[in-house]
Amino acid sequence: MRELLRSVFLVDLLKGLWVTFRNQKPSLIYTEEYPKDRPAVAERFRGAPRLNVHPDSNETLCIACNLCALACPEQLIVVTSERNEETRRKELTNFTYDTSRCMFCGLCEDACPVDALELTQDFELAYYTREGAIWDRQMLEEGPLPTEYNY
Amino acid sequence: MDEIFNSPYYPYLPPLIASVLIILLFPLIAGYIVLLERKVLADLQVRLGPMRVGPYGFLQPLADAVKLLLKEDIIPAAADKWIFWGAPVLSTFTALTAFAVLPLSDKFFVADVNIGILFILAMSSIGILGLIFGGWSSNSKYSLLGSLRSAAQMVSYEVPLGFATVTALMIAGTLSMQGIVHAQQEQGLWFAFGNYGLMLVPAVVFLIAGVAETNRAPFDLPEAESELVAGFHTEYSGFRFALYFLAEYASIFVMCALWVTLFWGGWLRPFPNVGFLEVPLNYGFPILLFVVIGLGCLKGFRRRRMPIEQTVIIGALAGAMFLVAALFAIPAANPYVIGLFWFLLKVFLLVYVFIWFRGTFPRFRYDQLMEVGWTYLIPISIGALIVNGIVFLWTSGS
Repeated sequence: MRELLRSVFLVDLLKGLWVTFRNQKPSLIYTEEYPKDRPAVAERFRGAPRLNVHPDSNETLCIACNLCALACPEQLIVVTSERNEETRRKELTNFTYDTSRCMFCGLCEDACPVDALELTQDFELAYYTREGAIWDRQMLEEGPLPTEYNY
Repeated sequence: MDEIFNSPYYPYLPPLIASVLIILLFPLIAGYIVLLERKVLADLQVRLGPMRVGPYGFLQPLADAVKLLLKEDIIPAAADKWIFWGAPVLSTFTALTAFAVLPLSDKFFVADVNIGILFILAMSSIGILGLIFGGWSSNSKYSLLGSLRSAAQMVSYEVPLGFATVTALMIAGTLSMQGIVHAQQEQGLWFAFGNYGLMLVPAVVFLIAGVAETNRAPFDLPEAESELVAGFHTEYSGFRFALYFLAEYASIFVMCALWVTLFWGGWLRPFPNVGFLEVPLNYGFPILLFVVIGLGCLKGFRRRRMPIEQTVIIGALAGAMFLVAALFAIPAANPYVIGLFWFLLKVFLLVYVFIWFRGTFPRFRYDQLMEVGWTYLIPISIGALIVNGIVFLWTSGS
């Protein structure tokens, strides 16, 4: 009898309608308008690599010790350097970092003795070519430029 | 001015103006019903919906229209060209013709025909042909299956729809759409509450059959996208597709308007014969509603930094809302717009209910669809007709 009355008065249908009606509060909306609002990532998020420069002199902090390349499990870092005959020190000439193979483990930044190599909070690493994912020294020092969208 | 009023052609002038207004405005209204549908559906599914074109996606229908008009118009090589060409025209024509007898208010209508409701039912029956022709001429199995389904569905749901309509007509005693509303005014209540609440049964049957008749979810088998790609309009693109879309939303509007006219008092306000409610319901309520909507528009300003053109659009929208509110406050203008206000309010609430159904109920299987139609709705509607007839005869004392 109960079952019959339930189906005659369409109770289940009305219940379903109430569930959807209840859930249309704007505060429940889960959508992120991504390119407009970028999500705040965690403080220790490991994203795009960056090669730090000295803030005053704009010279690289990297001493070309090659420890990051040795630490990298994927062996995607290539450090090239040449010895300066006057100061008898190694100077960095180029630094390539293949982001397409990187798994963002952070071992390179841990290995760096001078805090030159760092994984930043940028996460937009998409490129039009495979070669574009291999970053050279200039790219690593400037960092990826955030894409501007015009609405 | 007198020349115009006295000329023998004057009786043709108001219907002409009304029909031109409807034909010009309805594509825009249909576009905004689509936007409403996308927004409400997004709300029900905890999404945002269109947000990019204009503030909060307000200009999306215009962008959609431009897109549809600029698209390439493809006619499949194997299609039957003339029927393919004519099918969407037929659908749109029949859907828009039904507006001719809709009583939008006691002042604003195209024609008051004494067989108004028969005319609408006939037009919606011819409209099925548009879908069948479209599905057949496309020469594609998805289209053909979709049109077969829609034909079977619309033919079988027209029966309970007709019986529910007849029940209301029996109480009203007239076939004229204006006359039905006037009958509700005379009897002092909306027909949905007539006959000691017994009229609610045909009202619900009419709603369910109406949802099925307009091929809306949960009865949207003709265009079940998981099975049939898009149903009868799979092969249509560009402007022809837009015509089908327009026809679909026009028939939704007509179906809602029919339900409102038959069961919910057309342009009448709630409690149409209670005199002291006239000022609060005919002046207070619309003014309050539009002012609240206008303030809601203004609230959109501060939400976030936005470009100047969006600010202008929001400001214009809020200004328009305040102007409409002011229009209702003028005693001379109020009687001309208040009927339209109540009618459109009811129709759009019902359109919202249609969208709500779509956001809630999963689609029926084909045999379930036929079972609901033939074994439940048709017997219930016949029974409701008989019971309502007996009760009506008894209580009217003749």
